Amino acid sequence: MASGHAEHPGNPALVTAEDVTKDLLSKHEGTSNNFWRVASVFGILLILGIIGFVMRLSDGVSDTAVWGYYAAMFAFILTTAQSAPMVAIAPRIAKAHWRRPISRVAELWTVVGLFNLLLFIPMLWILPPLSDGRRSLWFYFDGGDVPSYSPHIWSTLAILGLVVIGVALLWMSALPDFAMVRDHAPDGWKKRWATRLARGWIGSSAQWNMQKHRLGILGAFYFMMLIFVHFLISVDFLITLVPGWVDSLFPITHAANGLQAGVATVMLTIWALYKFGGYKDYIEFDQIWALGKLLFALSLLWFWFWFSSFNIFWYGKKPEEQAIIELLMSGPYRWAFFGVFFFNFIFPMWTMIWNPLRRSTWGPPIIAASVLIGTFLDRIRLYVSAYSVDGIGNPAINKHVVVEIPETIYPSLADIFIMLGALGGMVFIFLMATRLIPIVNIWEQRELKLYEIHKTFHRTVVKVLGKPD
Amino acid sequence: MQDHIQLDQKQINDDLLAGVLGMPKWWLPAVLFLTLVVLAGLGSFGYMMNKGLGVTGLNRPVMWGFFIVNFVFWIGISHAGIMISAILRLTQAEWRRPVTRAAEVMTVFSLMAALHTPLFHVGRPWREMWVFPYDFARGVWPNVRSPFVWDPSAVGTYLIASSLFVFIALIPDLAVVRDRAVNPLVKKIYGTMCLGWRGTPRQWKLQAVAGILLSALVLPVFVSVHSIVSWDFAVLIGVEGWHSTIFAPYFIIGAIHSGVSAVAMLMALSVWLWGLDKYLRPDHFDAIARLLIVVATTWFFFFFLEWVFALYTLEGVEISLRELQVFQWPYAMLFLIFLATAFFIPVPMWMFRSVRRSAFWMFFTTVLVNVGMWLERFLIIIPGLMRRQPFTFDWGTYHPSIIEILIVAETFAFVALGMLLFSKFFPLIPLFDIKEGMVLRDEIKIGRRIVPATIRE
Repeated sequence: MASGHAEHPGNPALVTAEDVTKDLLSKHEGTSNNFWRVASVFGILLILGIIGFVMRLSDGVSDTAVWGYYAAMFAFILTTAQSAPMVAIAPRIAKAHWRRPISRVAELWTVVGLFNLLLFIPMLWILPPLSDGRRSLWFYFDGGDVPSYSPHIWSTLAILGLVVIGVALLWMSALPDFAMVRDHAPDGWKKRWATRLARGWIGSSAQWNMQKHRLGILGAFYFMMLIFVHFLISVDFLITLVPGWVDSLFPITHAANGLQAGVATVMLTIWALYKFGGYKDYIEFDQIWALGKLLFALSLLWFWFWFSSFNIFWYGKKPEEQAIIELLMSGPYRWAFFGVFFFNFIFPMWTMIWNPLRRSTWGPPIIAASVLIGTFLDRIRLYVSAYSVDGIGNPAINKHVVVEIPETIYPSLADIFIMLGALGGMVFIFLMATRLIPIVNIWEQRELKLYEIHKTFHRTVVKVLGKPD
Repeated sequence: MQDHIQLDQKQINDDLLAGVLGMPKWWLPAVLFLTLVVLAGLGSFGYMMNKGLGVTGLNRPVMWGFFIVNFVFWIGISHAGIMISAILRLTQAEWRRPVTRAAEVMTVFSLMAALHTPLFHVGRPWREMWVFPYDFARGVWPNVRSPFVWDPSAVGTYLIASSLFVFIALIPDLAVVRDRAVNPLVKKIYGTMCLGWRGTPRQWKLQAVAGILLSALVLPVFVSVHSIVSWDFAVLIGVEGWHSTIFAPYFIIGAIHSGVSAVAMLMALSVWLWGLDKYLRPDHFDAIARLLIVVATTWFFFFFLEWVFALYTLEGVEISLRELQVFQWPYAMLFLIFLATAFFIPVPMWMFRSVRRSAFWMFFTTVLVNVGMWLERFLIIIPGLMRRQPFTFDWGTYHPSIIEILIVAETFAFVALGMLLFSKFFPLIPLFDIKEGMVLRDEIKIGRRIVPATIRE
């Protein structure tokens, strides 16, 4: 058994679980003026987005080409905010202790799923039914039994399922923290809110067993549903719109982009918390370092998946595949493609192998920002180009090859407003959620105090970490 | 419940060097039997060299048969070493310690086995040298656009990297054998091989850094090898079912599925044959089974996508190939066996804790996985080629000849023989890794329970 406990190397005011609880609750209850200033900026961007959406709606939904940027922003939020919870789910299943200070940050992004669900509704009108004769997942034939709105029905159910599971996951994870807010917060709306959501939590063994068991199940379901949503969106709302695009790897590429951008989203968020949020005692180099390694691996994965698809198309030299390369890579959106290649692969790869940058607290967030820029360009490259292909909704046009590569569509004022609004909306909603739910998981931090001790080992002080069953 | 046995260094040396410094009773008969099988396979190869490829079951248009199926299978198995050793080492997974060496050694021998079969398959192996640019003085270059030039480069690089990987991790253990050997000649040989290892802090640091660097460098090689093998198929547009973008990741995840399963088989065999149950605990089987659940499910999702996109095109030739694989004898039966053994029997079984923690059940389920994964490669290659030509008079079938069966058996015997010979000269479980694990192990008292813990630097 561990003996000879050494002095705790961290903040001496945060040695016991009670210290941690008091500190995190006081941080949660206080809100600075700077917070409201930042939230106001993002709120204004959200309003701009609503204006842009109304402008776009005034053009109608029959011309899919003008809705490309809107679709790209929906996909961007799916790829970033809705994929971010995986940073909490995967290490929790693997019982990795480093996730504890950042798991709530990752889970809080699930709230943005509600916003994306709203953004998804107009997509149902933009996507034409299968009766235009395009290939689909649903084996639709004229006169067959399959409804021509199958993509609309199944995608809606899947996204709804993802959002519901995400919110349930967040609530289940926050249950003990709600109880702590209930027991410690002064009278007011936060106490009432926490009392209602804590559902009578008293921390009995049965409640803890139930909570951990359901957290595991909800996490696994969220992961499966996320992959399923990426699969449906990437096929029904992207691949099928481009005649001749048969890419069995692409749904996985889309999901892997999601994991990469999700990690980048969490990394940038925890960096902001570390730098401006006053959480330096909790978010340490361990978290940034672990996420940095993950981001590096996912950047390599991005390249491998892209090359696996590209190599087959390029080597096969089939006309329909050459047209896909031209549409998505070498043609009207090559500026976006080269941007993606640089920001998602070249920059992370060549900076993460450089020690002074990799092993710093500021290097990995720069790489995370690079990945998010790359992902943003990637969604534009894919969705704007796909939505501009001639013949969507028109049964008379060839559905097996892109006959004419469309011109580049640059964003109009409405598109710029929509992009700003989508970005502003996702951050604004996240910021509001942090006022309702503690942004650092209190019960996981308290649990860490049980599993972590420091002891003298020969001539040095080492950390000893217990392994939960 | 986590169960560990704390052992002292002397006992670890005694247990893990028992097979090197002594000889189990079963070892010699097993080696003799496997040698006979290898000789039978090599004899068949000699016969095939003399008579030509006509003695195989290959005929037009099925010109790739058991040899290529077996090649892909062994390349798949070879991914176990890197998966277990490099990835688990980089992620500091504690349970890796007793399984890394066997996995790495299996990588080396299965790569050698994989290289056998294309060599035999070409019919005139003496012309293999044409894949190397040996005659550049006369301006004769290999065609670098050919996938058949990519293969030897990738597999050769992987073999060199894997052998280095094994050797670097072996050095401290070689020094232990050197210090315990009685025979001066044996002492001299191990002394030479361990490169003067004395266990100084600098040597330990260099050995650790070399291991980490090799882990990181070998990972891209590991990915490239099976990607390139998959592109032997996927870059072709003439065979429906092969020209698919998912092939590279699909082959890799399939390789990890069969490779990690093979490691679990080896773990069970190590417990039974060498009595290493103090080192390979139910916890280790449990950990590898959990990993297998994730790997198998991912593999199944890739398999599902491959099928979805084959049918998505609604093209007649693609659908007729899938009909051949699923509905026509004997492929229909093989397809059912493949699905049942690769996924539907083992994965539900691994959901039960008692199965995950049992050496017997893990051995049984992982043997099934490898039967299934061998059949998977068979079902990709043979039906794919059978209907390659549009003219029905060119449609052929394929029945493996006894020569091919003997050569395939030879590759299995070769890997088993290689592992047995290795175990006679080197410890199959790394001594230094186990000792390090024992030193870094600790316990923490939480309430009334004592929880296992690990020291982190």
